[in-house]
Amino acid sequence: MNSLILRKIILITMTLCLTQFFLNTSYSVEPDEILNNPKYELRARNISKNIRCMVCQNQSIDESNAPLAKDLRILIREKIKEGSKDDEIYEFLADRYGDFILLKPPLNSKTLFLWLLPIFFLILGAYTIFYHNKKSR
Amino acid sequence: MKNNILILPSIIFFLILSIFLYLLVIDRNPSEIPSNLLNRNAPIFEAKSLFKNEKFISANEFKGEIILVNFFATWCKPCRDEHVYIQRFSDEKDLKIIGINYKDNNKKTIKWLKDLGNPYENVLIDKNGKIAIDWGVYGIPETFIINSNGIIKYRNVGPITNKIYKKINLIINKNE
Repeated sequence: MNSLILRKIILITMTLCLTQFFLNTSYSVEPDEILNNPKYELRARNISKNIRCMVCQNQSIDESNAPLAKDLRILIREKIKEGSKDDEIYEFLADRYGDFILLKPPLNSKTLFLWLLPIFFLILGAYTIFYHNKKSR
Repeated sequence: MKNNILILPSIIFFLILSIFLYLLVIDRNPSEIPSNLLNRNAPIFEAKSLFKNEKFISANEFKGEIILVNFFATWCKPCRDEHVYIQRFSDEKDLKIIGINYKDNNKKTIKWLKDLGNPYENVLIDKNGKIAIDWGVYGIPETFIINSNGIIKYRNVGPITNKIYKKINLIINKNE
């Protein structure tokens, strides 16, 4: 009986954790910021999701309540209305705040290790496990 | 050879651990982000002045002399704390000090400068924070040093302390 309850608790906890992991509906866009053109608004939301809040640093500006995040969301919408392309907006922001503002940093000489190290460790891990298994046999 | 392969992950693990420990021990602020504008031309912008009638055009102003640009606001407590150092720069050094008043109330700023002293040659109004964005500012107070060629040589995020005051002095002396 006890183990059944325990199993249920584990299952509920895991379900809750997983739903939190996959559902990301929280955002901080205020009604007065939303653009009338739905296509423009969708573009602005997508860009905002990829821009780091420089104040909170672990949130995108789409999720952050910081005043600077709001300023940047408004700026992105203004740029879209002016006819700027997405790449131009990313470039404008990275030019002022560095690549750190991009939640997905570009692949260049400075970020080479950042992008390649996980692949290197994956290969190293697989190689070690393979050799270990071979030896135990 | 096989043993070496098994030892390798442990070595890498301890190597990474050492790097993390080193970063924890050294004197650094992990939340501080290096400015992308360092060693680049100061941003070009225009702004209204708090005390002067003419418009401030940065392209006409940022050349020929060392300039200290300070983003501040009356609602910002650290700005009040560092004001004494800005005043010292104004009293002791031959440099132009430009204050950029970030998202503030003009009347409150005039009173604040009257009470604490006005070290600024010009106070510019940044009502909506757009000038701050152009400078990559993410939290005031922030201070920039621009050399006589209009190049940003230093940036300080946060209030000026005694240690930073000395550091800025060295940079000013080097660029004079």
